[in-house]
Amino acid sequence: MSRTWSLALRRTALIVAIFVLWEAVTGGFGLGIVLVSPAILARPSSALGELGPYAQSGLLWRDLSTTLTEAMVGLVLGIIGGAALGLGLAYLRGTSEVVEPVLVSLNSLPRIAVAPILLPLFGLGIASKIALSFFTVFFVVFFNTYLGIRSVDPELVKAVQVMGGSRAHLARFVVLPSVFSWIFAALRTSVSFALTGAVVGEFVGASAGLGYRLNIAAGLLDTKRVYLILLILMVFAVTLVEIAKRVEARLLRWRPSATLGT
Amino acid sequence: MSVSCDRVTIRFRASVEAVSDVSLDVARGEFVAIVGPSGCGKSTLLNAIADLLDPAICEVTGRIEIDGAGRRERTRRDANLGYVFQRDALLPWQTLLENTQLGLAIRGIGKERRLARARELIAMAGLAGFEHYYPHQVSGGMRQRASLVRTLAYEPQTILMDEPFGALDAQNRMVLQAELLKIWQETPRTILFVTHDLAEAIVLAQRVIVMSRRPGRVKAVHAIDLPYPRDAFALRGSAEFARLETTIWQALRDEFRLATETNA
Repeated sequence: MSRTWSLALRRTALIVAIFVLWEAVTGGFGLGIVLVSPAILARPSSALGELGPYAQSGLLWRDLSTTLTEAMVGLVLGIIGGAALGLGLAYLRGTSEVVEPVLVSLNSLPRIAVAPILLPLFGLGIASKIALSFFTVFFVVFFNTYLGIRSVDPELVKAVQVMGGSRAHLARFVVLPSVFSWIFAALRTSVSFALTGAVVGEFVGASAGLGYRLNIAAGLLDTKRVYLILLILMVFAVTLVEIAKRVEARLLRWRPSATLGT
Repeated sequence: MSVSCDRVTIRFRASVEAVSDVSLDVARGEFVAIVGPSGCGKSTLLNAIADLLDPAICEVTGRIEIDGAGRRERTRRDANLGYVFQRDALLPWQTLLENTQLGLAIRGIGKERRLARARELIAMAGLAGFEHYYPHQVSGGMRQRASLVRTLAYEPQTILMDEPFGALDAQNRMVLQAELLKIWQETPRTILFVTHDLAEAIVLAQRVIVMSRRPGRVKAVHAIDLPYPRDAFALRGSAEFARLETTIWQALRDEFRLATETNA
């Protein structure tokens, strides 16, 4: 316990030190040291000072909820779609051999590169961001599902078969749990992918969202707001990944590694 | 006959012969052990009896019957076989309590009855208190007990066991042998037990079938005329046990020797 506390303390100290140093070299604390121009690197105190106006204008909540909605809807649809296609193709071995090169090619495409074509397809609203988020998550889940099915322990299959289990029993007791473990093991990656998809989608064209606001601020050389949004995004991402980690540990508690946590 | 093999030959990819012309009969309620050097095809034979071989790579000729019916003439459920694997083959995502109900769930038994049966057997196997543990949280010996409980739970008439205690340490192996003996003596079921441990075969079985090195054939069959109930621990020190071990080892030794030479 004391080790955990001392680690937490040292971690906090490092974060505080980074902010203090950052503040000091951008003209803070009345030291007059300006190593980096405020137009490039905003002073943390002034960036955080932007939080008040941003929140009061009502835009903060609107942007946060927009980006969160896009990322989460994209995540859920991506997981469902990827799992469905992965399961489907694993059962249709003939088809999967034909489809594989197409999927591998699509997967090797940098996912966010498709953002510009999604805009005319789905418009400026949240649909195009959901689509990009979906697209980035989909392949992670699809390949994990596909691999998950191929790595099902044949001995477990035999155990169910010898007891007289049907194909439905096999799916319920062996294949699906095995696949779910692979999907949930990729949940953390999927969450950050979903967020990336949403934010990049907003860069390309949107009317709300953290990425949209960030892009506008950068265009106006409003460095304070840029850094504020970056900090918000960081906290946002860390929180989401932390939640994903908890969900993962809970769902995969039967696994030796998942219970240890990191 | 509970299990009957008539001139069974098994080939892998139509060329490598794993089991050659094996005929054996196991009577209802009989405990038979098969011993042989590793790679002699004894596990393959067991898999063939359980109809677990992939027909795409294995060709089985001859006739295998369970209770008088050919393997493809009945559903697996009607064949009512039990199979205990060397590795426990428990579902890692289910607790021991859930795992032991697997066969009952497959048979569509209601939740109440399933739970009652599983709890009763878990207590009998000395696993009480560990019902809600996942397989990775308990020892190998406990996992294998749970695996045995899972098989007994749906009351298969015939149980095939593929070196079930092979992965355990010597002490655990002896304890589980004693427990298996006790279970079988209380409720006789047909058991076909594959092992490479001759002492284990003698302690447990009524008959020991010695298989030759690959391709496996039946080399000798020995009746183990030690009376039941047997004491798995005391038996090992007896003169009768020593006599049987020496006799059967004579047949087995050559196979081990030849196996080493061919491998070298």
